[in-house]
Amino acid sequence: MKKLLVPLMILLLLPINLFATGSKEAPQAPAAVVEEEISHDELVRRAKEEGKVVVYATSSRIAKAATGFTNLYGIQVESSNLKDFELIEKVSKEARAGAAGPDFVLAQDVGRLVGELIEPGYLYNYVPPVYRDVIPESMQNPLQAFAINKVFIYNDEGVSESPYYNIWQFADPKYKSLLQFKNPFQEGVNANFLTMITSDKWAAKIADAYKSYYGKEIKLTTPNAGYEWIKAIYSNDLIVGTSDTTIAENVGVKGQNAKRELPPVGLFVYSKARYATSKNLALKPAMDMEPFAGFYYSLYLLMATNAKNPNAAKLFIEYLFTAEGFEPWGVDCGTYSANPNNPIQEDIDFPFAVWEPLLVGEEGDFTFENRAEVEEFLNQYIY
Amino acid sequence: MIKKARVNQLKSFFKKPHNVILVVLVVVLGYLTLIPLITIVVDTFTVHSSEVRAIKLPMGSFTLYHWNKIFASGMTSQKTFYEPFVNTMVVAFLSCVLAILIGGLFAWMVTRTNIRAKSFISTVFMFPYIMPSWTLAMAWLNFFKNSRVGGAPGFFTALTGLETANWFAYGLFPIVMVQGIHYAPFAYILIGGILQNMDANLEEAAMLLHANRLTIMKKVTLPIVRPALLSTFLLVFSSTMSAFAVPAFLGSPVRYQVLTTQMYRTLNGMNPGYGYIIALVMIVIGVAILMLNQWVTGRRKSYVTITGKSSNISLVNLRKARTPLTVLLVVILLMVAILPLVSFAIESFIMAPGDYSLANFTTEFWVGQGSPEIANSEPGILRNPSIWLGLTNSLKLSLIVSAFAGTIGLLSGYAVAKKRGSKLSTIVNNLTFFPYLIPSMAFGAIFLSMFAVRRGFIPALYGSFWLLVIVGTVKYLPFATRSSVNAMLQLSGEIEEAGTIMGVGWIKRMTRIIFPIQRSTFISGYLLPFISCMRELSLFILLVTPSTRILTTLLFQYNEKGWNQYANAINLMIVVIVVGFNLLINKLTGASIDKGIGSN
Repeated sequence: MKKLLVPLMILLLLPINLFATGSKEAPQAPAAVVEEEISHDELVRRAKEEGKVVVYATSSRIAKAATGFTNLYGIQVESSNLKDFELIEKVSKEARAGAAGPDFVLAQDVGRLVGELIEPGYLYNYVPPVYRDVIPESMQNPLQAFAINKVFIYNDEGVSESPYYNIWQFADPKYKSLLQFKNPFQEGVNANFLTMITSDKWAAKIADAYKSYYGKEIKLTTPNAGYEWIKAIYSNDLIVGTSDTTIAENVGVKGQNAKRELPPVGLFVYSKARYATSKNLALKPAMDMEPFAGFYYSLYLLMATNAKNPNAAKLFIEYLFTAEGFEPWGVDCGTYSANPNNPIQEDIDFPFAVWEPLLVGEEGDFTFENRAEVEEFLNQYIY
Repeated sequence: MIKKARVNQLKSFFKKPHNVILVVLVVVLGYLTLIPLITIVVDTFTVHSSEVRAIKLPMGSFTLYHWNKIFASGMTSQKTFYEPFVNTMVVAFLSCVLAILIGGLFAWMVTRTNIRAKSFISTVFMFPYIMPSWTLAMAWLNFFKNSRVGGAPGFFTALTGLETANWFAYGLFPIVMVQGIHYAPFAYILIGGILQNMDANLEEAAMLLHANRLTIMKKVTLPIVRPALLSTFLLVFSSTMSAFAVPAFLGSPVRYQVLTTQMYRTLNGMNPGYGYIIALVMIVIGVAILMLNQWVTGRRKSYVTITGKSSNISLVNLRKARTPLTVLLVVILLMVAILPLVSFAIESFIMAPGDYSLANFTTEFWVGQGSPEIANSEPGILRNPSIWLGLTNSLKLSLIVSAFAGTIGLLSGYAVAKKRGSKLSTIVNNLTFFPYLIPSMAFGAIFLSMFAVRRGFIPALYGSFWLLVIVGTVKYLPFATRSSVNAMLQLSGEIEEAGTIMGVGWIKRMTRIIFPIQRSTFISGYLLPFISCMRELSLFILLVTPSTRILTTLLFQYNEKGWNQYANAINLMIVVIVVGFNLLINKLTGASIDKGIGSN
């Protein structure tokens, strides 16, 4: 009987292609999408015909924007909030399998977006014609919806001046077990930041900062000063967090400064500065850090090559640059629309033009090229 | 003639229902478990899209890069694999021991002694298992967090003024405690079930021979519960080995890492190939444990403990210790099961963290409209449509999975026990267990690639609810099968034979004789998948789409974002639903997840 079973199974299964493992990864680049210039009104007409749009986003506020979009145009939105790597995994798997996926995405982690989703042709860049002259050209390819900053923020209760002025403080044994930073392996943009500071440009600045802090040249035990700083802060018992909200609360809860020498400090999204009022925390950015006060990353709007509702997707992309479309993000500090006409929270925030020179930016190619190496390096010191 | 004999042989083979069950299971499970395995192996040798620049080969080409990096690259291997590997083994082993000690002790107390408040203990003891494991970790942090991470001090420090030590608040110790407590109910169910159904005549016989309690325990009770102990060890070891969220939350402040945290970062990051090797290693360890288990249990005959004769359980009289022991158990329970719930409830009403004054209480996170200044305008959970969708989906999914897994598990348990010792039965027994050994996260990832496209007569399932059902059913089959095999092995063959001799058909034999006798065990085979499904995260996280989102994925998102009030509220909701469901089943059928241990 047993002898019969095996052939029986094979007979049943083989001819119907059930054994293919699905990991044939050689992608067939989909035919490039030929863009046809149409007017805004025509776009609205076609979008309404489609009646629906599917979006994947790494920001949960997309749901709020979707409600506004539906109210305005009567087009239904199916939005899902995914983590950066889930979005990449899903979009690439769906595209490879030809399964129904999103019509467009609002995503972060530029290196992987470029290398894994745009280059293979799963996503493509689309800039709404009406905004072509409004959005700075540097933010158009790939198209950025807005930038978000993560900066050094400390507990300013009873502290008049920032005790933090140089990033090398966090590598100094005097400041041991102090800095809090979310696990870079949990969020790609954090790993991108660490990757960017190993670039020649930033490594040089970090070496200069070392000199101004210690008064002597840096001695390298790693490829460059960027790597050296990463190694040093993690070896100095940096506290690895799991969420920026939690870090913000841990840093900002009042009553701590009285009990300790140095106020708690973390590197996390500036949007949490709003908690200072809404959750009664003490949070203030250390903006005069040498050589940087933090970093910024962007959320990108990209069309899916096999979008089922391309016109509704384009209309939604356009909508996200309007004042109303940006509002779900704009009501908070720490998010800066690529459309410079959209306002910021002036009471506690600064225009992006003020922030940008203080921050480490991101470059898709450089991060995609080097992140694996930096991650491997980091892995030796983070645990 | 030989041919005809063959055909006849085959006919009579398939006439027996248990043979049909076994053959069908071999085919279906073989497909659903071996293909994932092959996929994993292939993936460890393939260049993935994120690695193209690092490896400098086109995507999809063959490479030994991952194997080399994981096992033979000095510091990289040390940090990526060897250190986490050792940590994992330590965590899994200690958690197992703790779970079996706590669970076994409670099970023995409840089934074998005249301790008071049995039904209370029995019900409440299930709570830690019902809660998603990482929420217990969150509760641990609520209580014992110290100034290392800053922020509001934990309850413990706030109340006593004592600062908890780092080793106590983070890392190995709390991970073992939380996982041990989380899986103790599991041990309780499996061990308690056997103790409950054990024929007391065996112990009485020993007593008549003047054996003392210790000897009886050693020579009679322990050997009988040994299969259950081993099953428990096996299941708990595999579970803790592949647990991700607990070490992620408790390990990260002191940077204690295990294999799953490495797998998570590599699978979801730039080096999925590493992750698949780690998954493979975990599967190999699991298989080794499985074989060890078989070798141990196979060395001696099984003990039939339920015969056609009636059996009474004689309880150990605790005499004077009865009340103090009851109080002790109840206090322990209150600490591990009720206190976390209370903390969730309180935390879900608090606006600014760490401030427990009345003015700081708010219902915003339950019924609020949502304000941009708190959590990106997220409405309170009771008026949040995505939570309602998640709730409906979770319930639907858990019910269907439990129906499938429970029934298939029951049948396979029956068939495996019937043909015990035959090759076919061993194969099926192992196949039904195998999915348990594949780490959930990898399992989900593989099913995603497997069923994203049409395969033969199976349509492309990605995005459909049924993919979740299939994954859940296959993954939780071991629970149902284990409890069913245990139940069937206890059942003397003469019982069914009596029915057969009377000319009772198979279906009637199953529904009228076998099921009723071991009803409570079988029903627990339905309940375990239900509960596991209600609180599962990593298995489904890659497979859900907007329309199929479930409660736990929402819960984890909130936790990760640090919106703990929403998370605590959802967590409370999950516990209430499962406990309510458990009570309902209990009322309707008399069975419950704890199999009514103590309540009858």
